[in-house]
Amino acid sequence: MRTERVREVTSHVVLMLGVLVSLFPFYWMLVMASNTTPDIFAYPPKLLVGSHLLENMRNVLSNIDFFGAMLLTLIASLGVTVLVLFFDSLAAFAFAKYEFPGRNLLFGILLVTFMIPSQLALVPQFVTLAEFGWIGSLKALIIPGAANAFGIFWMRQYAKGAIPDELISAAKVDGAGFFRQYLTVGLPVLRPGLAFLGIFTFINVWNDYLWPLIVMTDPNRLTLQVALQQLNGVYGTDYSMVMAGALMSVIPLIGVFIIGGRHFIADIAAGAMKF
Amino acid sequence: MTLTRRKFLALTAGGAAAATGLTGCGSRSSLGAADELSLWAWTGSVNDDLIAQASKGIPGAPGKKVALTRIGGDYKTKLLTSLAGKSMVPDIVGLNDDVATYFPNADQFLDLHELGADQVKGDFLEWKWKLGITPDNRMMAFPMDTGPTALFYRRDIFAKAGLPTEPGDVAAAAPDWSSYIELGKKLKQAVPGAAITDNITSIYAYALAQLPKRYMTVDGQYIGNGDHIRQAWDLSVRVVKEGLSANAQSGSTDANAVITNGRLAAFVGAVWWAQLGPKNAAPESKGNWRVTPAPGGPGNRGGSFLAITKYCKDPEAAFKFITWLESAQNQAQSFLDPVLFPSTPASYADPKMTGADPFFGGQRIVDVFAESAKKYPGTYFSPYDSIINKPITAELVNVEIGAKSSDQAWNDAQHLVDRELTRVGAI
Amino acid sequence: MAVSDALRSPAAVRIADEGPSQRPNKFKQAFPQYVAVAPFFILFAIFGAFPVFFSIWLSFHSWDGIGQMKWVGLEQYSYLLTDPTFWKSITNTLIIWVLSTVPMLLLALLIANSLHNATRFRSFYRIAYFIPNITSVVAVTMVFGSVFSNNFGLLNAFLTSIGLDKIEWLSQPWGIKIAIATIVAWRWTGYNAIIFLAGLQAISSDIYEAAKVDGASSRQQFWQITVPLLRPVILFTAVTSTIGGLQIFTESQVLFGASGSIGGPGDGGLTIVSYLYDNAFGSNQFGYGAAIGWALFILIVLFSIINWRLIGGSDDERITKRVARRAQRKIAAEKAGKEYADAH
Repeated sequence: MRTERVREVTSHVVLMLGVLVSLFPFYWMLVMASNTTPDIFAYPPKLLVGSHLLENMRNVLSNIDFFGAMLLTLIASLGVTVLVLFFDSLAAFAFAKYEFPGRNLLFGILLVTFMIPSQLALVPQFVTLAEFGWIGSLKALIIPGAANAFGIFWMRQYAKGAIPDELISAAKVDGAGFFRQYLTVGLPVLRPGLAFLGIFTFINVWNDYLWPLIVMTDPNRLTLQVALQQLNGVYGTDYSMVMAGALMSVIPLIGVFIIGGRHFIADIAAGAMKF
Repeated sequence: MTLTRRKFLALTAGGAAAATGLTGCGSRSSLGAADELSLWAWTGSVNDDLIAQASKGIPGAPGKKVALTRIGGDYKTKLLTSLAGKSMVPDIVGLNDDVATYFPNADQFLDLHELGADQVKGDFLEWKWKLGITPDNRMMAFPMDTGPTALFYRRDIFAKAGLPTEPGDVAAAAPDWSSYIELGKKLKQAVPGAAITDNITSIYAYALAQLPKRYMTVDGQYIGNGDHIRQAWDLSVRVVKEGLSANAQSGSTDANAVITNGRLAAFVGAVWWAQLGPKNAAPESKGNWRVTPAPGGPGNRGGSFLAITKYCKDPEAAFKFITWLESAQNQAQSFLDPVLFPSTPASYADPKMTGADPFFGGQRIVDVFAESAKKYPGTYFSPYDSIINKPITAELVNVEIGAKSSDQAWNDAQHLVDRELTRVGAI
Repeated sequence: MAVSDALRSPAAVRIADEGPSQRPNKFKQAFPQYVAVAPFFILFAIFGAFPVFFSIWLSFHSWDGIGQMKWVGLEQYSYLLTDPTFWKSITNTLIIWVLSTVPMLLLALLIANSLHNATRFRSFYRIAYFIPNITSVVAVTMVFGSVFSNNFGLLNAFLTSIGLDKIEWLSQPWGIKIAIATIVAWRWTGYNAIIFLAGLQAISSDIYEAAKVDGASSRQQFWQITVPLLRPVILFTAVTSTIGGLQIFTESQVLFGASGSIGGPGDGGLTIVSYLYDNAFGSNQFGYGAAIGWALFILIVLFSIINWRLIGGSDDERITKRVARRAQRKIAAEKAGKEYADAH
């Protein structure tokens, strides 16, 4: 029994050290965001939270359209998430629960597309969107990502196990067509899976950098990540303000995550085990 | 190739997109609202009050406004990407002294001759005016400011180190780069950690800025392997070897930090650096800075241009705005803030310019920069200068960080330049 | 639901009309399913497949995205293969990948094991460990950039305070790589630990019980049972971190994007994707950018094949049995050896 106790205590010591490392950058962000730039650049550095946080945050708001960038990022993230949830679950439902000619072939193609790195066609994708006249507009952020192979693959695995065939047969007997079956049988059962895929997609779009950096050419309509880097480029001499911007940009997602993240973490782990 | 890109796209993507109704409105327009001309410029390259005025209405163009966006960091990437993107292109763009880089794509910009630029030609410095004109006489860019160079130094730190403190005495103590290095050594001995440049590339750039020739001759011959470049190279290496560089690479937060925390006690820089450097990064050092003629003589680095893109909603109004912003009177105002040096000689007598600058302890800094501007010989920029400059500065950094010896880095740089120039078909 | 009703009724009516004796048209019947899977394939055709083919065409040209395209044949590829900077970007990427992945997976294993042993505060730990992963790379890079900074960094302040010399992290190619690898490892260690934890929880406790009966110490249990049984999960994390590692971009762009050299001093942080971005969008060499894209693709395929080889033929149950047998043998042998040593 004593070894059990020792093991428990050692584990907590290790884990608390890890937590410190995990959370330290946030503390440091707060320290820099709440001091003045000369204090940050001085030696020895200030190690404690200062008193200039509000002032620095106000500077961010007066220099860039922070909430505008946040709103744009929110629209893009929600837009992609809603479309992905709909298209992916619909396709996954069809792949998981219906026999149709060419199903395996189509699913095979889907798996192959999964393997193609997104950067392979970065340049031609840009050129294509330029020909459409979409560069600089929200369409460039939302439409190309509106359905993805990962989501369909994942939802299909989920749907296979989660949706009982009897329910579909029952719905068919009631005269429901495919889309009604999707709505009445598929969607309710898939809801937990959708929650995971939704959070996953939302976080990815929210934090995406390379693609919005390239396609959002209008400096007044940037996503939060690109706007943050722009803030650094334009007002880099006011470093404490840049750090206040960084802090403001990470708070919303972390807040949402602390409230609703527990299931998500379990799902991520479960998803990895399925591969 | 008989199949052009446009045809190829029309056949494939266009077809697919049309079939699915995705093309929608393929608007090929410029940025901003209909009565608004969008302007892209660097931070610290326009006067805020003038822009505020133009954002209410462009003088001489009723009902039209200007909307400025400040661009930081990789400006060129953003501009080129936006031009390649073909939509959301700004109406008016600032271009740096590498304006010739855009000459191959001069058709993306309007010919300012056709908008009547020649009417005001006489107001501007001739060498500056010429830099914006392509070899086939298309006026692609309109002069903004120029970038006469001088030596900036911290009087307080020089005093602490027992060095001369008055501008005249400092200039006398450091007439050329060698004596400047000696001065730097004394400075560093007295004030450990003090530096006379943020990094190796600044010394190189400002030594190059004093030369009458750069990388190519007017008739397209590469001379970047010549003695004049090698001397500037060796000078930069020497400054680093003497331990007088802060090793804070340009564009990094570190580069700002060494100004803020006072490590950078002296710097040979162009006039606009006053704003981008000490005024922005070290407002608390107000009153301690001075300027004096730079070691090695007069020079010019930077100084921008304005160009109107072919996407512009209202070229006449845009041109009105440009000529208004760059009038002698308004350029004088831009000297006050953000310390842009006019390309219009008539400004130099303007009382706005001859005032004392409290940031520089009440010094009349215009005297120093006007002297540099007057004596500056002018130079030639080829469309390939940026391509050539990139590997050279990258290899200089390799010397600074100790990754390569000076000779090896020089050879590698020349080899890379050769590859790049061959690839673009310049040699 | 007007659309779906409209789509449904013809098929339904049709089946009723034809009756069971007639062979129904399978394709027509499956029309709703085709509609359901169509959006992905249409989007992929336009934004995936077409650009992929277009990029082949593009890579045979010299084009700045603005002016006229010029056919150059294989020149872009021959330039690519002879470009030392390209090879440097590959070695950089691989070094950063190793520097981040190895410590990351080891630490994740340690954390997962501790999480498995700890009974209290589990959900707190999970959240705390997962937060770095959902935090934006841009913000994180800015923070780490200041920690590693030459002139005002926390790390250098610490070194100075204990009497050591400053290290110019962000001016040295290896320092830059350590900084980037730290950012990557920081973001992904917790994520991998949580996946390992799920793997640990899936291991039946019977094996451990059996090992205990045989007298195995906890260290023996960890290395001889836990690690081998986690192999599939470890490989999953290795695969995902390979693909992620080959695509590192944001860190160097945020650290050095404004400096005119995206790789930083000595191109120490130049990764394959940042090389691609810099050439394609920094100098508008669209044709060359397309060629680099293909090089990246080949690399990823290469690494995927290596990974598949490693995973190859690993059937869970067989592994479990094999590992259990091997562990038993080893522990018995060690015990025997120890007894032998004790006896003499």
